[in-house]
Amino acid sequence: MNRVVLIAGILITVALVVILSAGLGKDPQHIESPLIGKQAPDFALKAVGTGETIDLTQFRGKPLVVNFWATWCRPCYEEHPVLVSNAQMMQGQVQFLGVVFQDKEEKIQQFLNERGTAYPTLVDQAGKTAIAYGVGGVPETFFLNKDGKVVAKFEGPIDPESLQQNVRKAMAQ
Amino acid sequence: MKRLILLLVAQTLLSVPVFSQEVKVPDAEQFVGKPQGQPVSGALLDQRTNEIGGLLRCPVCQGMSIADSPSEMAVNMKHQVRELIARGYTQEQILRYFERSYGQFVLLKPKFQGVNTLVWILPILALILGAAVIFSFMNRHPVDEPPATTADEDPYLAEVRKLTGKQS
Repeated sequence: MNRVVLIAGILITVALVVILSAGLGKDPQHIESPLIGKQAPDFALKAVGTGETIDLTQFRGKPLVVNFWATWCRPCYEEHPVLVSNAQMMQGQVQFLGVVFQDKEEKIQQFLNERGTAYPTLVDQAGKTAIAYGVGGVPETFFLNKDGKVVAKFEGPIDPESLQQNVRKAMAQ
Repeated sequence: MKRLILLLVAQTLLSVPVFSQEVKVPDAEQFVGKPQGQPVSGALLDQRTNEIGGLLRCPVCQGMSIADSPSEMAVNMKHQVRELIARGYTQEQILRYFERSYGQFVLLKPKFQGVNTLVWILPILALILGAAVIFSFMNRHPVDEPPATTADEDPYLAEVRKLTGKQS
């Protein structure tokens, strides 16, 4: 009896240690996106400045970079020039879209006036688009292929290398 | 003249930017179909919102449900839960909708599948094991006294017994 109890105890302890140690290196805020490989949720949102309604489906046939951000998010300031310069560089080949949530339109406009832009910035209503994309915090960037399928997601301020690597992935699929 | 007026009207209409397209946010119906329950309102709506909100993890908090978190993200999610319940979506449909976006991460009660099975099974196994250990200790036979040594085996003891007048 004691031997059985000992073996079972060791097995349970080993299983627990394996499970807990597997989670040790993980970022607790990281969310593995279940949207990868699936059709991106469609939306049509109002653009800051022009008031025009931009529909995601109007860009079918072209890879898309959808960046969720906000003016209250410090890392978003860091990545903004990376997105703008790449959008200018890839103009005609890849469409960039900014989606701002939990923010005020005046603040967004002021941000864009001060820092410039090269693509439409849309206002998310009640954060519903962010929720549908499983956004856990800003900035987060989604890469869609020409058919509107999500091929990659990047959490945090994006650097030029990661941006180009993911754009290549979106162009290839 | 009439044609000129019509032409002017048409030109005016065409020159005005057309923003008639409606703002459209992703809707649950696109992912989980039409509501399978009955629309809910009043106090029951508040109660159901808190119940279902308590099952969903706030993505920007540490282990808090959207029902408990004051963060704007959680508040937005809670509003959406409320709206879906009001439209007649069932708990299963609502959880499935959020799981489609955030994965199983968003469920505070993990599903009984894959690696998650261990989360359910291990505590039960540990409980059974603990009970088995306690049971085995409780039923352990009392330590047997050493068998009385017979005189044949130990002549010294036999001598002592003889002197003291005790027999085994």
